[in-house]
Amino acid sequence: MVFVLSIALFTGVASAHAQAIPSFVEETDASGIDSVFEGEWEFMVGGGVAVFDCSGDGFPDVFLAGGSAPARFYRNASEAGGELRFEKARSGAEFDEVAGAYPLDIDGDGVTDLVLLRVGENVVLRGLGDCRFERANEDWGFEGGDAWSTAFAATWERDAIFPTLAIGNYVDRNEQMFPWGSCTENWLHRPAAGERRFDAPLPLTPSHCALSMLFTDWNRSGTPALRVSNDREYYKGGQEQLWHVRAGEAPALYTPEEGWQRLRIWGMGIASYDLGFDGYPDYFLTSMADNKLQRLVPPEAGEMLPRYDDIAFAKGVTAHRPYTGGEIQPSTAWHAQFEDVNNDGLADLFIAKGNVWEMPDFARKDPNNLLIQKPDGTFGEAGDTAGVASMLTGRGAALVDFNLDGLVDLVVVNRHDRAQIWRNTSEDAGRWVQMKLEQDGPNRDAVGAWIEVRRGDVTMRREATSGGGHVSGQTGWWHFGLGDRDEAEIRVIWPDGAEGDWTRVAADGFYVLARDTEPVAWKPNGR
Amino acid sequence: MLTVHDLSRIANEARVNRFRQFLAVLILIGAPATVAVAQERPAADQILHNWYRMVLELVRHTPTYSPPVASRAFAYLGVIAYEAAAGGADLVSLSGQLNGFEPGPVRETGAAYDEAIIMQAAMAFAVRNFFGNTGPTGQRAMKAMEAQLSQVSAAGVPDAIAARSVEFGEAIGAHVLDWSQDDGGAVVENMGFPFDHALNSRPGAWAPTSLVAQQQAPLLPRWGENRSFAMPTGASCPLPAPPAYSEKAGSDFHAEALEVYETAKTLTPEQATIARFWSDDPMLSPTPPGHWISIAMDILQDRKADAGERADLLARLGVAMADAFIGCWHAKYEFDLIRPVTYIRRVIDPNWQPILITPPFPEYPSGHSTQSGAAAAVLTAHFGEDFAFEDATHVDEGFDPRRFSDFWAAAEEAAMSRLYGGIHFRAAIERGLDQGRCIGAHATALKTVQ
Repeated sequence: MVFVLSIALFTGVASAHAQAIPSFVEETDASGIDSVFEGEWEFMVGGGVAVFDCSGDGFPDVFLAGGSAPARFYRNASEAGGELRFEKARSGAEFDEVAGAYPLDIDGDGVTDLVLLRVGENVVLRGLGDCRFERANEDWGFEGGDAWSTAFAATWERDAIFPTLAIGNYVDRNEQMFPWGSCTENWLHRPAAGERRFDAPLPLTPSHCALSMLFTDWNRSGTPALRVSNDREYYKGGQEQLWHVRAGEAPALYTPEEGWQRLRIWGMGIASYDLGFDGYPDYFLTSMADNKLQRLVPPEAGEMLPRYDDIAFAKGVTAHRPYTGGEIQPSTAWHAQFEDVNNDGLADLFIAKGNVWEMPDFARKDPNNLLIQKPDGTFGEAGDTAGVASMLTGRGAALVDFNLDGLVDLVVVNRHDRAQIWRNTSEDAGRWVQMKLEQDGPNRDAVGAWIEVRRGDVTMRREATSGGGHVSGQTGWWHFGLGDRDEAEIRVIWPDGAEGDWTRVAADGFYVLARDTEPVAWKPNGR
Repeated sequence: MLTVHDLSRIANEARVNRFRQFLAVLILIGAPATVAVAQERPAADQILHNWYRMVLELVRHTPTYSPPVASRAFAYLGVIAYEAAAGGADLVSLSGQLNGFEPGPVRETGAAYDEAIIMQAAMAFAVRNFFGNTGPTGQRAMKAMEAQLSQVSAAGVPDAIAARSVEFGEAIGAHVLDWSQDDGGAVVENMGFPFDHALNSRPGAWAPTSLVAQQQAPLLPRWGENRSFAMPTGASCPLPAPPAYSEKAGSDFHAEALEVYETAKTLTPEQATIARFWSDDPMLSPTPPGHWISIAMDILQDRKADAGERADLLARLGVAMADAFIGCWHAKYEFDLIRPVTYIRRVIDPNWQPILITPPFPEYPSGHSTQSGAAAAVLTAHFGEDFAFEDATHVDEGFDPRRFSDFWAAAEEAAMSRLYGGIHFRAAIERGLDQGRCIGAHATALKTVQ
């Protein structure tokens, strides 16, 4: 497969829909969600949310980390297109000391499982159906360890029948006086050979206090590498990382000789999207003050090297200080995610913001960002006008269509405050399509696939990843805005590289894309 | 076979024990051998040493502590330590010698004090106040150290003496803190980057060098107006103007730029190591002034220096480097000169990339050169000429220690590292060292021994 970086960037935006101004309505009070991310020093980072459908009705359910308090699970009771409603339910996942969580069908049974990142032992939970979970560490050979776990990513290595999980760990929490330089080891939980269980984890050393990880096929080689964003507050001699994770081989860092360029930031979250319509993912890295947006630099000749330009300044996404509220100190960014909130065919960027913990040199009232992509590829701030500029202390988040109306909604976890949820009520938004991937075999949700959507002469692409963000993950519907198009062509490049056929589908619909079959239209049951 | 979790557990246990080991070492080093009860207590010199260890971390992990801001903290901390030690070591107060520093609290005549407790109280107060803006981990670390050192330093000391000593130590800290408030550097907003700075439009003026939005204005443009410590004002050690700006091949300015460009093209591994060793980036290192403090601490520790000697040197060194940043910044914004990366890309090679990240403020003179010159002047005055030493500041970062024949050799290497790194022209380096020598002389002239 050959991707040509020289694809005209403006091709992607020329036919975009006239941009709707997004608007959101906060429905926290009425939603039924009442969860606070509690805890002191050991929960100054973390605060994740996992979103997945465990009830089988297609509506995304929500699991919220509680920090020192027990986590909470909420079943989605929203009506299609209606206000957001959730019901607290016992799921078996209500552990305490949870920093974050990611949904993943680990055992390939078609039921979503959960990975809980904890301060203490990590726990994998087998989904039993109907939103019930049970501990599976022992059954799956998963060693939960005893660390401060703060990052996660998953992939299926070539021909593997069980996933490979990367878990990032933070500073040594037992160090009180001199914790700097005490980053603990990250782990790679690979499957035991030929078994549906994990082997003893491998240390991913050097480890530099990871706060986000993402398996991503950065060069479209067919084998994802592991991108790790690290918090420079704690490492010594560290930097951002990219790991080779090749089946049957020990993990190995990309080196300067391979083109890797040193970058040292307060890495807190990774978001990725092919913003440039060139076939390769761009990476947004959250930090304190300026954030980074990295775009692959095409080589003049030879193989692709992991060299990136920082285009955050040029694109208007540095998001380095509050844009409203009157504070003059710099910002602190956590979860980031690209989604098209106004369905104009251009991915927008949400960033959860919040002071680490009473740091007076950084903004105390630090509004979340909602950066809307413009037709020229730059972004403009709309967090305040859209109504999501919360001044609470944001951490993890998820942009998800909770009420299945085609508009992406928002949930944000706040430290020492209630999680907030907003319904996207944008008027004049464009049209959309959402799809869910299915394949037989162990990797049921096709983690690592690429979804492509043709909108006129533009091909939009996104990678179906598991990981990244700030200790927050989701499975289920993948959303694309279509602008004013009433149909689109879609296809999937499956994790093994097999290319599905292009298929035309009508706008404003949900589709289940199973391998080697035509898309199946899906509609939410009326309720 | 041990799993990764077994190894992690072992590592964790080792780290848990680290503080106990630290205390054991502290007690062994600090205990007067002849006094049984004192063997369980650290002496003032080790209390000072350990607070400075903490400060080197806090400087790195407090985002507002760019090198000028860090140098200011080192100066005030040094003065507090010095004034705390002065009464017990027959040293002359710095009041009346440092600009605006009035006489402070004095000990009650005939009353007993404990030197370790005074030092502990003074340094705890100093660090708590001069690093009050640090993050949650720094706050936690400071509290843990204060609690532990307060406890061990007071062990076995009569309550009345301990209370009197704590009160005196804190009074010294409060006196210096009060003095510091109107020096012009007490409040730093937005990490030192102004919101309304007008850039100079003349050819050869500084222009932003990064794509960091915050750094489109230069760092601390008014820092040179701050009240200096030992030298009269920020203008007391002036510099000649840099070579006249020119884009003409063959001009002095072009030749300087060409030297940077050609050096980068032919950089040897040793030169690259030197550039990175002295890079001392804020928020990724103890900063340039912290680097020299680290050098001094290692030597003092090797020599088992007493509290008086340590405080004397740390105060002079802190004062010299703080004055160096004031003087250097005064000159930087007087000349407001373009950085090599901007000039070279404009005139010589549009794709040129230095190996170091160019700092976000004007070029002339080199801050590292000025403050290294000032530091070398102070350290040479204290330890003597031809004092060979090893610099292990960045061992934690994976750098091997570097050996130097004397302090000026180190200062010259630090200064040249900026040319190797592609962030300074030669004039800024050489004249920066000259300026540092001049500024350092004011600190070495301070009278401390009675």
